[in-house]
Amino acid sequence: MKFSTVLAAALLASSAFIATAQAQEQVNLTWQMWGDEKDAALWKSLADLVTEEYPNITVTAQISGWTDYWTRLPVLASSGQIGDLVAMQSMRMPSFYSILEPLDAHFASDGFDVSAFETSIIAGLGHDGTQYALPYDVGPWMVYYNRDRFAEAGVAEPALDWTFDDFKAAAQKLTEGENYGYAVQAFDFVAGPVALGAEYFNDANQFDVTNPGYVDAVGKFVDLVAVDKTSPVFASGAGAITGSGRFAAGTAAMYIDGPWVLQQTKDSVDFNIGVAPLPRGEGESRFITAGSGWGISATSAHKEEAYKALQVLTGPKAAEILASAGRALPGRLAEQKFWYDVAAKDVAGTHEVLDYMFAHSTPFRLNEYWNEFENLITQYMPLALNGDSTTEAVLGDIQNQLPF
Amino acid sequence: MTAINDVTEVTGSQKRSRWGSRLDRREGRTAFFFLLPGLIGMVLFLVVPIIASVVLSFTNWKLLGTPQFVGISNYVRLFTADPQFWPVLRNTLFFTAEYLVLNIVISLGLAVWISSLKVGQRWFRVVFFLPTFTPGIAVAIVWMLIFAPGGFFDFVMRSMSIAMPNMLTDQTLAMQAVIIVSLWAGVGYNTVLFNAALDMVPQSYLEAARIDGANAWQRFWKIRLPLISPTLFFGTVMTAITSLQVFDQIYVMTRGGPGNATATLGYAIYQRGFQNFQMGYASTIAWVMFAMIMALTAVQFWLQRKWVHYDN
Repeated sequence: MKFSTVLAAALLASSAFIATAQAQEQVNLTWQMWGDEKDAALWKSLADLVTEEYPNITVTAQISGWTDYWTRLPVLASSGQIGDLVAMQSMRMPSFYSILEPLDAHFASDGFDVSAFETSIIAGLGHDGTQYALPYDVGPWMVYYNRDRFAEAGVAEPALDWTFDDFKAAAQKLTEGENYGYAVQAFDFVAGPVALGAEYFNDANQFDVTNPGYVDAVGKFVDLVAVDKTSPVFASGAGAITGSGRFAAGTAAMYIDGPWVLQQTKDSVDFNIGVAPLPRGEGESRFITAGSGWGISATSAHKEEAYKALQVLTGPKAAEILASAGRALPGRLAEQKFWYDVAAKDVAGTHEVLDYMFAHSTPFRLNEYWNEFENLITQYMPLALNGDSTTEAVLGDIQNQLPF
Repeated sequence: MTAINDVTEVTGSQKRSRWGSRLDRREGRTAFFFLLPGLIGMVLFLVVPIIASVVLSFTNWKLLGTPQFVGISNYVRLFTADPQFWPVLRNTLFFTAEYLVLNIVISLGLAVWISSLKVGQRWFRVVFFLPTFTPGIAVAIVWMLIFAPGGFFDFVMRSMSIAMPNMLTDQTLAMQAVIIVSLWAGVGYNTVLFNAALDMVPQSYLEAARIDGANAWQRFWKIRLPLISPTLFFGTVMTAITSLQVFDQIYVMTRGGPGNATATLGYAIYQRGFQNFQMGYASTIAWVMFAMIMALTAVQFWLQRKWVHYDN
């Protein structure tokens, strides 16, 4: 009786010991990510890739909506509750690089080569020459167009190097009453003017949105709405989303967005769609790209494991999964073919257009006030679009409110 | 006889007070322990954050990194350098004034109407109260879609051949759109409140007035309104406070735009704090808003002496 009790206790103790020993080896990483409910399975399959490769590492995704993600991130970071792996978008890097671990030392330790990735997005996920994240997707802003409407109106499909005048002529021909040729969104006032050759920064990387080149280029897009009435005005509350809705409903024949919405757009329309580069100005075409990726939290207790996990999450297999699902045009060049073959296979011209755009990509100039600038564009541009104010006055107002 | 009585009374009260103070202390201690859970909660979630936000308003905390003490420069910037502060303040006061007046008038009107009904009183109370327990954000999203350019409202106006600019992209109308939505969501609460107060007015007063020859208008102004004035006062103060803090509708419908047409203090705090990451500056605005609400509430309490009628 006594002996058996001792034996049982010893067994219990040893099993507890074994369990703790195993638990010590096992590393659970938290992965902050944005996205929809429907993407959860996709992120889970990526997390499973990590455990397949490193059985002692499990990755748990913490998913929140896009807008909430950016509100929560600084709060989690400043209260020390941030996950080990953190999703980051290239345009937010100047505001958030400080919460991420510089990756260069890790790259040096295992000879990791970033040349497998598209160069503009590797630059986009770095800050001041230091790499802070590895990309899972990339893409330039481009014009989505309704091929059926183009055919009906007898408008030729856009050439790769079409000019703003071609774009405007198409928008005018395609506009008929409530059916618009184009649906402007807030970000068009960034990507559009850059493609026309304008700059919103001065040489010191500070906002200078009242320079004549930028005012002129923004004015061209404003006129499409205010003067030519080829596009509806967007309301400040929903500046970023109304264009896609109108395009999907068939009441706007063109709108500007990135390849990240291609799959979703394709699924939500019942007409043929095509993509074209943004129209150029007098000079050469030039396009900005953006993308997202994952970095390691600067405060993570498991940086080594997180680095291993990061390599799997941004590795070829993961890129293939995301590309085949249409979720992302991979930042990895070799795996982009899966996106072209699957997601983009019914969309006219995708491959040529993106090849052309990547070949003409220009660095996306950002600073830590970028988010503020985008919000001001959304809030103030409707005044120019509805004719209450001029482009110059609106940009002057925006400039006054920007810190520099 | 009286002297003896006095003496016994004195000693009696002394005894009672000594006994009483011991009891008070013991009871006080017990009460303190019973109150502790609530007290801890209050200190932790109310007092500490309030103090923290005062401290933050004197720093340049950017959410990331450590805050640095900057003295009163946030306040100086707010009152002298920020081009947006005065328009934002003006918008907030404009919203509060219009919304408060309309809300009280409409809800009082509805309450009087409901209380005059012979049948269906309860039913109408529920109907008007429904928006109060509907989530504000969801309501605002639906209204945003209704008012959006090319949306349902534009469609209705067009089909009635009424030419008017879109509600959300016009500088004047945008604030009216926000007020309409706020009224839709906020009127029901006051309606039920005032309706309950009206039902409490003793029928005998009204009958007596009727016998004395008072008409319906006189009965309303001279009897019912003074008798429900404490409830009216409560409704006014609470509505004023919530409307000075307006945020949800603006966040969803206009994001402060077009331009700064609907930018209010509540939205400015969110924008500075969570979009531009200027937590210190956002706390400064929050304190200015707090001071303003305090002052306006104090004014209302002072004014109530002139018009609020307490029965006892």
